[in-house]
Amino acid sequence: MASSVEHQTGGHGHHAGMWVFPRKENIAPDVAGKTFSMPSGYKLALGIAFILAVLGVVGFFIRATSDGFGSPGPWGYYAGIFSFVFMVTGAAPLVACAFRFTKSHWRRPLSRVSELFAIMGVVNIFLFIPLLLAMPSIKNPEVQGTDLEVRRTLWFEVPIGAPYTWDILCFVGLALCSMAILWLSAVPDMAQARATATGFRRSLYNGLSGWWYGTKRQWNHQKAGLALLGAFYFMLLIFVQFIFITEFAMSMVPFWKDSVLPPMYTVMSFQSALSMILIVMFIMRRWGGYEGYIGKAPFWSASKILLGLTLLWTYHLFAFFVTYWYGRLEVEQNILKYVFVQPYLIVFLANMLFSFLVPFALLIWNPLRRSAWGPPLAGLAALVGAFLFNMRTFAAAFNTGNHYEFSLSHVPAAVWPDIWDIFIILGGLGIAALVYLLSAKLLPLISIWEVKEGTLYQKMGTLMKGEYLVLAKPE
Amino acid sequence: MARRPILGLFDDANAAADAGDGLRRAGIPETDVDFLTDTPYPEGAFGEREEPHRLYIFPFIGALLGLTSGILLTSMTQVAYPIVTGGKPILSIPPMAVVCYEGTMLGAILFTVLGIIFESRLPKLKAGLYDTRITEGYVGVLVNTEEAQHNTVEGVFGQTGAVDVKRE
Repeated sequence: MASSVEHQTGGHGHHAGMWVFPRKENIAPDVAGKTFSMPSGYKLALGIAFILAVLGVVGFFIRATSDGFGSPGPWGYYAGIFSFVFMVTGAAPLVACAFRFTKSHWRRPLSRVSELFAIMGVVNIFLFIPLLLAMPSIKNPEVQGTDLEVRRTLWFEVPIGAPYTWDILCFVGLALCSMAILWLSAVPDMAQARATATGFRRSLYNGLSGWWYGTKRQWNHQKAGLALLGAFYFMLLIFVQFIFITEFAMSMVPFWKDSVLPPMYTVMSFQSALSMILIVMFIMRRWGGYEGYIGKAPFWSASKILLGLTLLWTYHLFAFFVTYWYGRLEVEQNILKYVFVQPYLIVFLANMLFSFLVPFALLIWNPLRRSAWGPPLAGLAALVGAFLFNMRTFAAAFNTGNHYEFSLSHVPAAVWPDIWDIFIILGGLGIAALVYLLSAKLLPLISIWEVKEGTLYQKMGTLMKGEYLVLAKPE
Repeated sequence: MARRPILGLFDDANAAADAGDGLRRAGIPETDVDFLTDTPYPEGAFGEREEPHRLYIFPFIGALLGLTSGILLTSMTQVAYPIVTGGKPILSIPPMAVVCYEGTMLGAILFTVLGIIFESRLPKLKAGLYDTRITEGYVGVLVNTEEAQHNTVEGVFGQTGAVDVKRE
């Protein structure tokens, strides 16, 4: 679909098409038109996502009825796909917050793309509940031999409500914060669209933004609110990720004690969330008619951050690996063999390939970084890597056998997914895609007020014989 | 006499800024004038008054309440069920930290949302004076003043190039 909005492009030579300058007065009606329309390709994507989601529901019910929630083993792949979806969709809203903090102009077209993942945060709460049911109780119901009476857990001394209430509150808090960010950011756009929207959208926009007139006071509070909530979201996200990976991976493997895994999980979530956002933006630009809003600059700028995150992930992986490699205890050797080099070796190698080698090999090349397709391609590889990481980690953690054992005395065999696991995995991906596609028809994929604001501060100017981007920094 | 709003609509932001200057010269207090825009303009672009905010107070109070709840909950649990773990004191900070941090964050987030709602004077049930052309890039200059001054305000709007003037 071609863009119907008039716009200019800026940049020459290898910077051609790097920047785009949409006409301010056309942005709101054009983006509203794209949001309210339903092209056939979009319907097809919705249909596929719906079918996958249905497969997931079928797989879930069969798994629940055949295996129940008495033992965590059968839920390893459910935990893996939940973790992958949470890893990507949980960190995605942070991308908008982070680049707003740094006042980067190139972030403007990606703000809403990233914030819309907040809606998936609400769905994540419900997807998380079965994991709580499948988690072994902290107190050992049947102490035998050298087994521990109380399972190793993050909830030392087990405060009231631990682990269920506090675990669920983590996800509720995260969803509340990300939804508040999305609401606050989308209020001006909903207010602009309330006059042209019809039906359900009109009621929704009026209900959520009826008070917005765009006064100075309102803009100031919106700006301050977004900054505060963005900071809190960052502080809460890394905490929830720490709780999740510690409780649902490390605590499940007897004697697995590692301070590198939580930060590695967080770095991977940043890498995969940025990757997903780049892929969505590439699709919007290539097939969605948004080329008038998304130049190559966001891909170019984000690619450097993606390269940095890729290297950072590898550093963490090496730190993790080498600590256990030189560990002299039998349990340390067993954990290394279990999670890395024996039953899941092939998955680990594929994880390395897609999380590090492929993105690194692509992103070191300047021409690829400056293209609109290079960074999303590297991002796609990083997403595959993140998917494999989660499958390997959680399938292994949930299938260690005796979770109350003093230490891992043997290397358990790999547990590969059965047909219902595959259904559940496809369903997890389908639900996430379905929720996002529906969200993008509810709220515009472009943050209209931010792109309009950008037109005040950016233009092409000449210096001697060259044409260059001129940026204003009002703060 | 009753105070009522009057809205001048400008298709050029510079003209709206001139109207702000004109209103000041005509003796309209700055606190009675608001600029309605479809996008945030930089501070002082219309020569308007500074709008300080107190939003940061809300998360601060929320965080304090959340932290206090977390400390009370964990310490009361540990006192009620005194289990010595790893030879550490019954009341030790590391096991309390997780719950305290979560309580602090939840309190801060909740109170920030409440703060935004309160400071933005929500919910506002009665629609104010507005024109949908503001969403297309026009700038609205909203003056909330006594009716006797409306002719003066309209005169300023006319001199500075308002494309439309609306009254309630």
